[in-house]
Amino acid sequence: MNPSDLEFVDETVERLGHRTEAVIPILQAIQSHFRYLPREAMERVCRLTDITPATIEGVSTFYTQFRHRPVGQHIISVCHGTACHVKGSELVQDALERHLRIGHGIDTDSKGVFTVEKVACLGCCTLAPVIQIDNVTYGHLNSHRVGEVLEAFLAEDREGRPSGLAAAALEGPVGEIRVGLGSCCVALGSGKVHDTICRTLAATGAAAVVKQVGCVGMCHQTPLVELIPPGGGPSKLFARVRAEDARAIVLSQYKPKGLWRRLSHRAAGWFDRFLSDETPDPVADRAIDVRDRPVCAFLGPQQHVATEYCGQIDPTDVDEYLRHDGLKALRHCLEKLSPEQIIEHVRESGLRGRGGAGFPTGQKWAAVRATPGDKKYVICNGDEGDPGAFMDRMLLESFPYRIIEGMVIAAKAVGADEGIFYIRAEYPLAVKRIREALRRLEDRGLLGDRVLSTDFRLHLSVKEGAGAFVCGEETALLASLEGRRGMPRLRPPYPAESGLWGQPTSVNNVETYALVPWIFRNGPQAFARLGTEKSKGTKVFALAGKVVRGGLIEVPMGITVRQIVEDIGGGVAGGRTFKAVQIGGPSGGCVPAELADTSVDYEALTQAGAIMGSGGMVVLDDRDCMVDMARYFLRFTQDQSCGKCTLCRIGTRRMRDILDRICCGKGQKGDLELLEHLSRTVGAGSICGLGRTAPNPVLSTLRYFRAEYEAHLAGRCPAGKCKDLIAYRVNEACIGCTLCAQKCPADAIPMTPYARHTIDMQKCTRCDTCRQVCPTQAVYVE
Amino acid sequence: MPRITIDQREIDVPAGSTILDAAESLGIEIPTLCFARQCEPSTSCLVCLVKLLPSGRLVPACATLTADGMQVESETEEVHALRRNTLELLLSDHLGDCVAPCSFGCPAQMNIPQMLRQIGAGQLREALITVKADIALPAVLGRICPAPCEKVCRRGNLDSSIAICELKRIVADVDLASAEPYLPPCRPASGKRAAIVGGGPAGLAAAYYLAQEGHACTIFDDSDTLGGMFGREIPAEKLPRDVLEREIAQILRLGIETQLNTRIGRDVSLAELRDQSDVVVIAVGWTAAQQVPPWGVGVSGGGIAVKRRTYETNLSGVFAVGNALRGQGTTGIRSVADAKEATVAIDQYLRGQPVTGTSPPFTTRIGKMDREELVQLSIETAAAPRCASISGVDASAAAQQAARCLHCDCRALTTCRLRKYSALYSADPRRFKAERRKYEQDIRHADILFEPGKCIDCGLCVQITAAGGEYFGLTYIGRGFDVRIGVPLGHSAAEAFHQVAAECVAACPTAAIAWKKNTPTCASFAICGDEMPATPASLPGR
Repeated sequence: MNPSDLEFVDETVERLGHRTEAVIPILQAIQSHFRYLPREAMERVCRLTDITPATIEGVSTFYTQFRHRPVGQHIISVCHGTACHVKGSELVQDALERHLRIGHGIDTDSKGVFTVEKVACLGCCTLAPVIQIDNVTYGHLNSHRVGEVLEAFLAEDREGRPSGLAAAALEGPVGEIRVGLGSCCVALGSGKVHDTICRTLAATGAAAVVKQVGCVGMCHQTPLVELIPPGGGPSKLFARVRAEDARAIVLSQYKPKGLWRRLSHRAAGWFDRFLSDETPDPVADRAIDVRDRPVCAFLGPQQHVATEYCGQIDPTDVDEYLRHDGLKALRHCLEKLSPEQIIEHVRESGLRGRGGAGFPTGQKWAAVRATPGDKKYVICNGDEGDPGAFMDRMLLESFPYRIIEGMVIAAKAVGADEGIFYIRAEYPLAVKRIREALRRLEDRGLLGDRVLSTDFRLHLSVKEGAGAFVCGEETALLASLEGRRGMPRLRPPYPAESGLWGQPTSVNNVETYALVPWIFRNGPQAFARLGTEKSKGTKVFALAGKVVRGGLIEVPMGITVRQIVEDIGGGVAGGRTFKAVQIGGPSGGCVPAELADTSVDYEALTQAGAIMGSGGMVVLDDRDCMVDMARYFLRFTQDQSCGKCTLCRIGTRRMRDILDRICCGKGQKGDLELLEHLSRTVGAGSICGLGRTAPNPVLSTLRYFRAEYEAHLAGRCPAGKCKDLIAYRVNEACIGCTLCAQKCPADAIPMTPYARHTIDMQKCTRCDTCRQVCPTQAVYVE
Repeated sequence: MPRITIDQREIDVPAGSTILDAAESLGIEIPTLCFARQCEPSTSCLVCLVKLLPSGRLVPACATLTADGMQVESETEEVHALRRNTLELLLSDHLGDCVAPCSFGCPAQMNIPQMLRQIGAGQLREALITVKADIALPAVLGRICPAPCEKVCRRGNLDSSIAICELKRIVADVDLASAEPYLPPCRPASGKRAAIVGGGPAGLAAAYYLAQEGHACTIFDDSDTLGGMFGREIPAEKLPRDVLEREIAQILRLGIETQLNTRIGRDVSLAELRDQSDVVVIAVGWTAAQQVPPWGVGVSGGGIAVKRRTYETNLSGVFAVGNALRGQGTTGIRSVADAKEATVAIDQYLRGQPVTGTSPPFTTRIGKMDREELVQLSIETAAAPRCASISGVDASAAAQQAARCLHCDCRALTTCRLRKYSALYSADPRRFKAERRKYEQDIRHADILFEPGKCIDCGLCVQITAAGGEYFGLTYIGRGFDVRIGVPLGHSAAEAFHQVAAECVAACPTAAIAWKKNTPTCASFAICGDEMPATPASLPGR
């Protein structure tokens, strides 16, 4: 490395500071510059700052974001979230590794083009399985499409990706075209749809503005486009819009102005049809009506509190937020209520923390308020890391002002003058929107030294996480903010007494803050009227997996699991049988189909062996193996364990060893008892919540699906999922088309035209490609 | 001043005390591995877990502050089982041999690596003391032992095993040829008498060790010489008779009496022997063992039946050792080993203590190592090949051969807290089967050997090096199960320890950080040190 490269390090340190807590931002900056962390750069940082070699090495190897080796030109992140897992992310990973000829410790192809890495969850669960190449997301993948996706990416990379176009300046009454631009929507092409709409408007001069709105929640229908006619009137909603449909949809509402424009438009339209050899009527095809039965069922039982006005407001527009009652609650709190009264209201509402544990929010705020101290902090925990959960991302992306408002109210209540958003780095859009929102509020003097022109002073900032699930645990989060490895510590003392830099600190979840403004606008009693006796209000869930209508939903507490799966989700997709719902991710458990009438509240879910958790809900069908699910979650927690305490560090690993054995058909007598015993020990003795809850997925599946474990011990996987216990066969429906033989990456299928094919199980890698490509469903799993 | 109870015992403790402090003042020893007074509690090892009542919560005693009215359970079956589990998890990821494979392969579990290091240092007298702690007749066995130790010697997988048996022979020969051959110290006379029936290897060894415990021994033999089958069946060219005689004479110098030409059942009955002495040790060999049933001694499979570990027969105060138990195929070393082990039980019997005998020393095992690992392990050893045989008593050749030893045994054998508590809590190192890590060592520091595989991630050294102002020091590298403690930014142990090396060695609960020169100072790990109880008598069983 030549000295000029190190000048960047010097500049970075000047910009970000010399203190230990700057270590993570400094490393992030170095990595985005060099694309990895060169040792010389880290040595340089140590010489220039208070950061010691022990700190920089400890921190840079703790967080998965940091890379210590040079990487390829493009990084492929393969999502291994729960929804992706049940939809075959392992197969996608295998296919990528096969295609790029990597694996066995090598993550970059020989030409240095692609580096493949596993990520815990990209939060696009409804598009599973998902991969992300640099910043482009590809959903609904399968093993045999991997090659074409990489080709397409490289082709676009050469030709340039479409960039956003500004809408032309308009006069007179204008319509509005709303495009959902949450991360999921973008992944399914809403960015391109947005660009096409802009281009069409520019070309036609139509009187409409394009508005980006946050997540609508109907992820199964994305990309969504809503047309609001000029001067009001009923809007039209279009679902699953493709870029090529967008122009027709726009034109159905807005006729091109001027003869020349109209003509050229006609010509282009005719030319399109000529080329595409189909008679498209996207306007009719893509239109849906909120009165349609499925849409109705999806939206009907929902109650939007945290997600109020979803799909209607521009996430970053302050004025629009103000028009929708924004900051009213805060103004009320600042002008009419004492901090004690604010806390009392929150208590009355019965609000409990939405991060998972369900601790009463009012009680937490009261504890922070009661602890003496000149300096107090409020923290927004946006380190949502559960695979299969993306509520917090959606809320941060779609309702930044609402969350900020809730947080400011909390700060007033506890007496804090500084607050920090801790958001995981995997959520770049969320980080960007919160930063943008904070900047706009400060610019208008609504936040900062004089909040809403009162004497109340509050400064909020954003810190990005660096890839560590355990930092969702509050003491680990605080360690991370202080520039240390995110290792939880023993509580007590709780952060309320000794938090950030030893000061009283209130750490609350994103959704908790998002609920607060509503409580003050509608009164605590209104909130308390929703839900059950002990679980008040609503809860946002990410509904994904084998369900017809996945998405982001907000439901009143006390709704049953069945209502969510069947009414909102439309039941299990593909004619399969509903088997269970995994609730609460790696800390939760499976609620089996026979207990589907379980009420969704903190107590009932815990009793059923699951937990509310942060709100991931993954629906499983009869082709999902429960042992594999338990192993999946164990692998996750084991991988995410900070490694501090013995029971979690080694205990979860040994549990995983046992599950690996069982899934490979090498389980031994006594393994289930040992697994159960170990699960209880790890759960009882670990230091933090991660370890204490890590055994839940194992215990709950052992409780409800023990027979499935026993079948594995006997060498069978009833769901046909565990690779070592299954075989691929071809039945008489085979027409000898040779497609499977052509696509088989392992040469396990001899080409026998017009004759029934056979699969050599010795060579077969169980990649599932043959089954996916077979036009007659002749390939089956045994 | 909070008042708390631990195991229903009440105590007032100063405010700010932890449960560990409180337990200490009650004399309850709660085990800890990651705790040191000079450091912040890291609550990582979790072997100090205690249970709080009535909540049932498990908390680490080292960091949990006492509060008035707190009720703690520490010494209960449940808490012990939990600690045992935690220890077993640590052991499942602890890569090291407490006791070297050669010692474990030796029926007498001789501390072979220590002998080799002493030979290597030219300390032949010390080496002899090490040998005779476990083997009563080393000059003899050095000539005839089939050397099971050499078959498991790890160096054998690299090139060829150490010539352990030959080296032992040299040590013994040098001693016997010296002006004053070694006589072990004996404890004060106990006033107890032991009658040893049979003057072969087992009987001689029994007399040798019992005499050291202060008991008066008489050996009865029906022939006119001692030595048993050694003298009768082994050709003189293999075992020169003068070697046998001199080694026996050296044993008898401990004040052991002999009564030759005396056959039990003909010249004196077993009952008479039992009357005359406090204990009888039957070491009559295989042939004579066939004649014991009329004496009232129980047999099984032709040999005398004894209890495992204690060598007690069905008759009170009658023990049996050697070929009389197992048959003719038994090696001399096994017979000698029997006698040494039985001595523990016999001594307990004679002193009116519970007779528990001895159990094998606690050890974890690495098992087979691949070539790459062996090469690493051998870096600081002599590269010399094994010599065919060393003639006579060439001390420098012996030293060179001994220096080939890979030092598989643990440098912290007697100080390792993980081993101490694992033995105390009867933890089973193989409870959780797992693929083991790759063996690594960092030898780049002049005095310190750093073996990350032995590290249990307690973090004490990370704190100590940081507080001690080391520029590099040590840090956690990685996360989760793969977290390792190491020197940051790819530097070596040589750069980690400048100021606080000694503190780190002292604080390390295992031998992850150890002085290279440090060697266990006990003669035998089976009975070394009071702090390492072989049987956790005070603890409930598994």
